[in-house]
Amino acid sequence: MLYSSLLFIYIFLPVSILLYYVTPTKHREKTLLILSAVFCGMINLWFLGFMLVYIAVNYIAMRTIDKFSERKEIASIPFAAAVCFDLTAVLIFRTKYFVSFLSDIGVPNGFFPLGISFFTLSVIGTLIDVYTGKMKSDKNVLRFALYIIFFPRLIMGPVMRYGSFNKAVKERRDGLYEMGVGFTIFVKGLAKKIIAADNLYMLYTAVGRVDYNELSALTAWIGITAYILCLYFTLSGFSDMGVGISYCFGVRLPKSFSYPMSSNKIRYFAARWHTNVTHWFRRYVTRPLSRSIKNRYARQAVSIAVWGLFGFWYTFSMNGFIWGLLIGTAMTLESRLDKRRIMMISGVIYTFLIVAVCSVFLAEESFSGAFRYLLAMLGGNRIFADTISLYLLKSYIVILLIGLYISTSLFRNMLIRSGKNKLSKAFNIISPIAVTGMLIVCTVMISYSGSSGMILMKL
Amino acid sequence: MADNMSKITAVLVLGVMILFGAFFVFGNKKDFSENENRELAETPDLSLSDAVDGKFAKNTEKYFTDHFPFRDRFIAGSAKLSTLVSESIVNGVYVSGDRLLDVSAEERDATDKSAELINNFCKDHSSAAYFVCVPTSSGVYGDEIPPYYQKNIENRQITSLYNSLSADIRRIDAYNILKMLNENYIYYKNDNKWTTYGAYCVYKTVIQKLGFSPIPYSKYTVEHVDFDFRGNLYDITQYKDIDPDTIDIYKCLSSVKIKSCISYDNNGKRENLKLCDKERLDSAYKYDVYLGETKPYLNIKTTVNNNRKLLVIKDRFGDCFIPFLTQHYSEIAVVSPEELNVPLSSIVNVDSYEQTLFIMGINSMSNSELFELLNK
Repeated sequence: MLYSSLLFIYIFLPVSILLYYVTPTKHREKTLLILSAVFCGMINLWFLGFMLVYIAVNYIAMRTIDKFSERKEIASIPFAAAVCFDLTAVLIFRTKYFVSFLSDIGVPNGFFPLGISFFTLSVIGTLIDVYTGKMKSDKNVLRFALYIIFFPRLIMGPVMRYGSFNKAVKERRDGLYEMGVGFTIFVKGLAKKIIAADNLYMLYTAVGRVDYNELSALTAWIGITAYILCLYFTLSGFSDMGVGISYCFGVRLPKSFSYPMSSNKIRYFAARWHTNVTHWFRRYVTRPLSRSIKNRYARQAVSIAVWGLFGFWYTFSMNGFIWGLLIGTAMTLESRLDKRRIMMISGVIYTFLIVAVCSVFLAEESFSGAFRYLLAMLGGNRIFADTISLYLLKSYIVILLIGLYISTSLFRNMLIRSGKNKLSKAFNIISPIAVTGMLIVCTVMISYSGSSGMILMKL
Repeated sequence: MADNMSKITAVLVLGVMILFGAFFVFGNKKDFSENENRELAETPDLSLSDAVDGKFAKNTEKYFTDHFPFRDRFIAGSAKLSTLVSESIVNGVYVSGDRLLDVSAEERDATDKSAELINNFCKDHSSAAYFVCVPTSSGVYGDEIPPYYQKNIENRQITSLYNSLSADIRRIDAYNILKMLNENYIYYKNDNKWTTYGAYCVYKTVIQKLGFSPIPYSKYTVEHVDFDFRGNLYDITQYKDIDPDTIDIYKCLSSVKIKSCISYDNNGKRENLKLCDKERLDSAYKYDVYLGETKPYLNIKTTVNNNRKLLVIKDRFGDCFIPFLTQHYSEIAVVSPEELNVPLSSIVNVDSYEQTLFIMGINSMSNSELFELLNK
């Protein structure tokens, strides 16, 4: 059950909200925990079982590490064990090498612990913090369990340190106002996923049907544009939905994306793309590594390599790693070569072109495939445009333009600039109708299949 | 003011959610959707094993989706919306200017296994075998589907099937006959099958191969019995902006009468049937006019006095084709493998028929399970 399914939107979500608000204030956190367990259990009981074991292992490890915090050599045993356990779990489920092992131990076919890449990063971060003494461990096992399986956070993060989550839950402010804000964010995410991402996915797969040798340059560019936008809308859509739902319960989670597509430098793009994940990598990998390195070039190499790791985290394949390396390299080169200020529009186009070229590696499954696709983008097949590209452009021009527009911050900026004038008032007045209407439109669009399941990558 | 607006949003959205949820919980639930012509999902049973492996969750989602309030209206709206914002492909069906076309031909499995089973069947029996593989509408109107799909995919699939059939099976090229005539009303606009006229055009060739001369078109009176037929592609898309189809019944001005037409189910239960039954126009799938709902086995006896007997093995493409054959044979046995649950030999003695005619749509040929029971 994803957030973008009818069953979730019309049964699970309203029931959860009602249950939460009828519960007396001091038990509300427990209600959230039970609801999250039900959410896991409704996917299947295996998942719930896995999550309980996962929580238990990490909680016990965290407490033990804390107990021996004075004696690092003992504390390092549970620390290493738990980190190994977490990483092994990710490896087992995210790579395809353990399929037969999984079916041997009775795991149902196709079982995947949703969001494992996200909560594993979170948990490992917390373990590191406790181990290095930056954070005292929390005795409250319920909160720790909630930290891992809180259902609005489960599917697509955001990756958070325990401390910030703890604070968000403790200082939550719930009520009708928060619920309204939450629904607005939720519906925005839903629309990103169902209206934008799903249609762009159709475009991307349509281009994927064309043979590499027959791909015209224009088609190839349309395809990669569709892919980047689709990836952006899928990830940020799910993350918005999560943020929105948790806002309904008064828990404020950080956003993962802040309009990366309207960056005028690669550096800014990198800083706004999947922020909490890149932060995690910087905090727990890049910084500790570069602290011990004096040489400036070596440091830059480390930072590029960690970007590679981030890309690898997306796909668990070589191509993802290459994508990360390319983005990291582009960023480093940019900061070394060009210190001038750059015009907004040309900067955005320049950033988009670089990101598009890099993303071919994320979109294609094999290295040779990516290479041939790149060749086609550069006109290697000696066809600039053909009937396919014109047909696709004609059919998808609406969604492409809408996609490009809302992926930039133009609309938000217009709202901010409008300040307290009439425009902003008008937006306020129509917003309840607009949000409800958008919810209905999304419902219509998933009414046939009941959910919008495409998630591009299993994270 | 922003605060209040936010509260109104909360009330409105939660209201809509609860409203639809309540409609679902308290609303009437149908078992069968006339509009989509299919059984809707049943209430999921909660068993431990289903809950453990996630089957329960899947069934629940399916159940909720199938019985979602105003489903019919919602999916009709969905078809409209998705053609607006992206290319005109709705649930895997392409909305071409004036017709619906299935675009899933490329995903079909290979037909080798089916061909092998059919070869085995023909080897085991003395009856002379003839094979007509019929393209679906998207094969004949392949020029209309989006350019990134392979153009003559069905033609290639049929050729590949014909190449793997053994040499003593006589193949009849329906594809090129139909392709040549595609200016005519030979395929339904809302269904992937041929119209009765399409079947007639192929009949003329088939019957010559079988050793008869075809009855000329002028000998038939054509009755338009329905102008509002929405076929299986409409069922999937619920796209209403395509004109509905016409169903025709062909009556031959000859002295040949049907003596009996009896259907048998898998348990051997008999039922009298009409070749063309206008009462079926009230059913969810009006195509059932021809030979009724598919039965595993049909036996037709006519007043033709030549003692010629024909065995037909067909899928739904055969339904409107068979009436044309009744003018030439004194007995026709019709087998529908998709409904057959018992070995063929237990209901028909194949060797008593001197000719066997296969009429299969290319879309059925990738499902080799259909032909398993022919050989048992």
